[in-house]
Amino acid sequence: MNLARIAALAHKEWREIVRDRLFLALAFVVPAALMLVFGYGLSLDVEHIPFAVVDHDRSALSRDYTHRFIDSRYFDYRGHVKSERELDPLLADSRIRFAIVVPPKFEENLMAGRPAAVQSLIDGTFPFRASTSKGYVIAINAAFNGELLAAYISRRFGVAPERAAALAQPVRVQLRYLYNQELKSTWSIATALVMLVLMVAPPFLTALGVVREKESGSIYNIYASTVTRGEFLAGKLLPYVGISIVNSLILWALATGLFGVPFKGDPLFFFLSSVIYVTCTTGIGLLASLIVRTQVAAMMLTVVMTIIPSVLYSGLLVPIASMDPQGQFEAHLFPAMYFTDIALGSFLKGVGLEQLWGKALALAIYAAVLWLISFALFHKRPRT
Amino acid sequence: MGEAAPLTPAPAVRVQGFGKRYRRQAAVAGVDLEVRRGEIYGLIGPDGAGKSSLMKAVAGVLAFEEGSIEMFGIRIDSEAAAERVKGRLGFMPQGLGLNLYPELSVEENIDFFARLRGVPAAEIAARKAKLLAMTRLDRFTGRPMKHLSGGMKQKLGLVCTLIHEPELIVLDEPTTGVDPVSRRDFWAILAELLREKGITALISTAYMDEAERFHRLSLMHGGRVLASGEPDAIRARTPGSVLELEAEPQVEALDRIQASLAQAESVGPRLRVFVDDAAPEAAVGTVAGLLKGLSLRDLHATTPDLEDAFVALLRRQRLVEERAVAKPRAGDGDPPGDDVAILAKDLTRDFDGFRAVDRASFTVHQGDIFGLVGANGAGKTTLIKMLTGILPPSDGEGRVAGADMHFAAQAIKARIGYTSQAFSLYQDLSVLENLRLYARIYGVARHAAGERIEQVAELTGLTGRERQLAGRLPLGIRQRLALACAMVHRPRILFLDEPTSGVDPIGRRRFWDILVHLARVEQVAILITTHYMSEAEHCDRLALMHAGRIVADDPPAALKQALREEAGELLEVATDRPLAAMALLEQAGFAGVALFGRHIHLFARDAHTATREIQTILAGRGIGLASVTPRPPSLEDVFVYRITALEQGEQRL
Repeated sequence: MNLARIAALAHKEWREIVRDRLFLALAFVVPAALMLVFGYGLSLDVEHIPFAVVDHDRSALSRDYTHRFIDSRYFDYRGHVKSERELDPLLADSRIRFAIVVPPKFEENLMAGRPAAVQSLIDGTFPFRASTSKGYVIAINAAFNGELLAAYISRRFGVAPERAAALAQPVRVQLRYLYNQELKSTWSIATALVMLVLMVAPPFLTALGVVREKESGSIYNIYASTVTRGEFLAGKLLPYVGISIVNSLILWALATGLFGVPFKGDPLFFFLSSVIYVTCTTGIGLLASLIVRTQVAAMMLTVVMTIIPSVLYSGLLVPIASMDPQGQFEAHLFPAMYFTDIALGSFLKGVGLEQLWGKALALAIYAAVLWLISFALFHKRPRT
Repeated sequence: MGEAAPLTPAPAVRVQGFGKRYRRQAAVAGVDLEVRRGEIYGLIGPDGAGKSSLMKAVAGVLAFEEGSIEMFGIRIDSEAAAERVKGRLGFMPQGLGLNLYPELSVEENIDFFARLRGVPAAEIAARKAKLLAMTRLDRFTGRPMKHLSGGMKQKLGLVCTLIHEPELIVLDEPTTGVDPVSRRDFWAILAELLREKGITALISTAYMDEAERFHRLSLMHGGRVLASGEPDAIRARTPGSVLELEAEPQVEALDRIQASLAQAESVGPRLRVFVDDAAPEAAVGTVAGLLKGLSLRDLHATTPDLEDAFVALLRRQRLVEERAVAKPRAGDGDPPGDDVAILAKDLTRDFDGFRAVDRASFTVHQGDIFGLVGANGAGKTTLIKMLTGILPPSDGEGRVAGADMHFAAQAIKARIGYTSQAFSLYQDLSVLENLRLYARIYGVARHAAGERIEQVAELTGLTGRERQLAGRLPLGIRQRLALACAMVHRPRILFLDEPTSGVDPIGRRRFWDILVHLARVEQVAILITTHYMSEAEHCDRLALMHAGRIVADDPPAALKQALREEAGELLEVATDRPLAAMALLEQAGFAGVALFGRHIHLFARDAHTATREIQTILAGRGIGLASVTPRPPSLEDVFVYRITALEQGEQRL
C-alpha cells in the first residue's frame, strides 16, 4: 500500500465532488432532505379514520353508542346517512374508510336482555390500517359492553357503580410502555430513518462516483497505471465514507434536535457502529458499481439492493420477530436489521456495547465480506 | 538480467497472432505487428476495425484470448504480468479529453497524474513547467479542464500521459474530432517530445491523411491487418495509377468509367480514377478510350494517396461490399423552380452575450453541394439549426426553400431533410419500419409512400436489407439509412451534419456517390459539414468558419489558387534530420513550416530560389538534403494557413 497514491486519489475525488454542485448537493442535501420528508410524512399511527354512521334506531342508547366513536381521536366523524345504500359511494370514493350500522330496535333489544348486532364496515384495501381499525372498534365495543354490564349489576344488586364496574371486569390490564412511554411512532421512525438514509445515500453516491469513471473512460488512467487494486479502492472510497460519517452526525442531530428523539445510549459506541455501518453500505455501492457499466444502471441496482431490503427486512414496518421463518432468515442476511437494533437500542433503550456488540460485529463482518468481494471482482485488465 | 542482455534489444511491442472476442463476436483476429524502439507506429482504420481492442490489450488494460503480446521482451499474459510493465507505459484512451477530470484545473489534472504515477515531488514542478511551455498551456493552468477547447484538451491529455516519462505511449485516436490546425500542432509537439526522450509511440487514427506522420503503420479493416510497413511501401503494394480529369457531362463519364473500372469517384467538378497495374501513360490511354466522344479537360496522372491504396487493397482482398447503389434515371422529382435553395444574409445568433454566429452570408443553388468546415465551436451547428428552422436568428435574414426563416419555420421543416450528428434512427426498428415511420412523420400520402420508400431504398443501396434491424447494420450502411429517411418526403434541400464521421473510406465513397447523384441528377441542394478535409474536396463550394464568421467561401480549387497567390508554392523537403532542419528553416523565416513524418512542408514564393536557399542553409549545418519537391496544396493546407493567419491577427490585437 502506497499511502501517497491513496492520498492522491482521495484528494482528487474530494475536489471533484466539491466542484460538482449537483454531486455535492446529492452528497449532503439529499440525506437530510430524505430524513425530513420521511420523518414528517411516514407516520404509522392510525388516527383520524374517516367514518359515517347509519342509525336505524335513533334512540338514546344508539346515540350513546355511536358517540363513543364520534368522540374518539382515532375516528373522524363525517356525518350520518339514512341507509346502507348511501354508504357504498362514500366507501368507494375513499371519503370514508369505516362505517357503523346500528340496527332498528337496538335499545329495545338490549333493554329486554336480547343481544343486538351492530354492523361495522371497514375498508380493507390497506390491511395494516384495517386491522388496527378493527382493534379500535373491538375495544370501543368492549368498553360499551362493560359499562352496560356494570350498569345492569349496579341496578340488579344495588351496588355502587365503581364496585359494579370492578365486578363486570374482574381482570384488568395495566399497561406501561417502556422506552417510548408515549408510544410516539415518530421516535421509532426517526431512529429507523437514520438506518434507512444511511443505507440508501452512501451506496448511491459511491456507485455513481465509480461508474462515472467507467462511463467517461478515466478509469483507464487507473487501469494503465501502477496503482494497485487495493490502493484504488481505498483512495476512491475514502471521501465517500467520510461524507457518510458526516451525514450520520447530521442525521443524529436531526433526530434528536428536530424530532425530539431522546438519546439514552453510549454516543461513542453509536458513532463507531455508524462508521462500520456506512463502511458496509459504501461497500454495497462499490459492489453495484463493479457489476454495471452505466450510471443509470448503477442507480437502479442500488435501489434494488438497498431500499427494498432495508424497508422490508429492517424491522421498520414489520417487526422481525413477527415474520415467518423465511422472512426472518432473509432479514438476517441484510445489514439493515442489525443497525436498526443498534440505533433503537442506543436512542431509546440506552444500551451499548455490552448488549449490542454482536450486532456491530455482524456489520463489521458484512462490510469485510463486501469489500473482499469487490476487491476480487475489480480487475485492472478486464475482459471487455 | 544484465548478463543475459541480447545484442539487439527486444522491440518495444511484439504482437503475434493476436485475437480478441466479445462474447461470440470476434473484434480482432490474427494480428501480427512489431513496434521498434523509438519509432512512431500508426494503426489506421475506420471505426470498428479493431484498433481500440488492440491498443487496450497492448496497454495491458484488456484481457484477450488469442495470440501473444510482448512489451520490452515481457510477455503480457496475465494481470500480474501487465502490472510489471505499466510503470514504463503511458496510455490515453479514445475520446477527446474523456480520461481527464472536467472539474479539475489544468494544473490539478497534471498533479493528479504525477502523484498517481509516483513522480518524485522534487521533479514534478520542472517537468510540468517544461511540458506546459511546449504545449503552450502555461497560460491556462488555473482553468477547469471542462472549459478548454478540443485542441487544448488533447494537449493536456498528452501532458498527463507523458508526465511520468514513460518509455512507450499508446494513444487511441488522439486527433479525432480536433480541427486541422490543432491536429498539426499536436503532431509537431508529439514528434518533438518523443524524439527528445527517445519515447516509442503506438498511435491510432481514423484519418488516412495522417499516414505521413508515422514511421511505419498498419492498415486495419474489419478486425484484420490489411498491410503493414512504411507508408510508401504500403502504397507500393497496390501498383497502379491515379488519374484526375474533368469531363462533360460528368454523370455519364462516371457511369462509363465505373462500368469497367471498379475504383472511380467524382470529386467536386473532377473525376478521380484508379487504374490497376497500369503505368500513368497507359492509364491515361485507357480512360481516354472509355470516354471517347465526351469533352475532356485536364486529364493527368497524380500520386496515389493512402486512401487510394486502402480501397485498392480491400478490393483486391475481395472485402468490398458489392456495388449495389442503383442509379435511377433523371426525371424523378420536380424540376427546380426557384433556383436559389438557401439564401443567408447577415445571419447572427447570440447566446447570453456570446456571439455563436456572426453575420454569416452565403447562397446555395439547387444542385449544389455546399460544404461547411471549421473547428468544433466555430458555429457550424448553430448555423445549421437556424437554417433548418430549429433556432430563430437574433439578427439577419434567410430564405430556405423559398420560405422566410423568420415567419415560416414550419414550412421550412416540411421542405428540407436533415440528419443530425447524433444517430437519429430507431435501432430496434427494421430498415423498412424506420422508412415508413419517417414517411408518416413527414406526412407522405399513404398511397405514395410505398413507391417512394422503394425508390429511396434503391437509391441508397438498401434494397434487400429491408427486414434487418437498424441497430445491427454496419455504420456506413446505417448512415445511408439515415440519409434515406431524410429523403423520404422528397425534400429539395438536405442538411447533413457530419454524416460520414467514423465511416470507412469505401463507405464514405459510396455515401458520396449517392450525394453526387442527388445533386447532379435530382438537383437537390446539399449543405454538409465534415471534418475530413479530403472529403471537403467533393463540395462545389466550401465555406470556412472561424469564431462564428465565414472567413472564406469559394470552390475548393479557387481556395487553393488563392493560397498559392498569397503564400506561394508548397514545397516538400526530405532530409535525414528533419527536426533539426525544421528548426533551421523556421529561423530562416519560411512560412508554414510543418513536419510530416520524415518530410518538412513549407511555403515559398519562388520554388527555385527557395530550393537553393534551403540547400545552403542545411549544408551549412551538415544536414543531408535528399530532395525538394513542389506539391499541390491540400484543403487542409488551406484551412491551416487561413486559420493560423487569423489567430495570429487576433493575438496582435
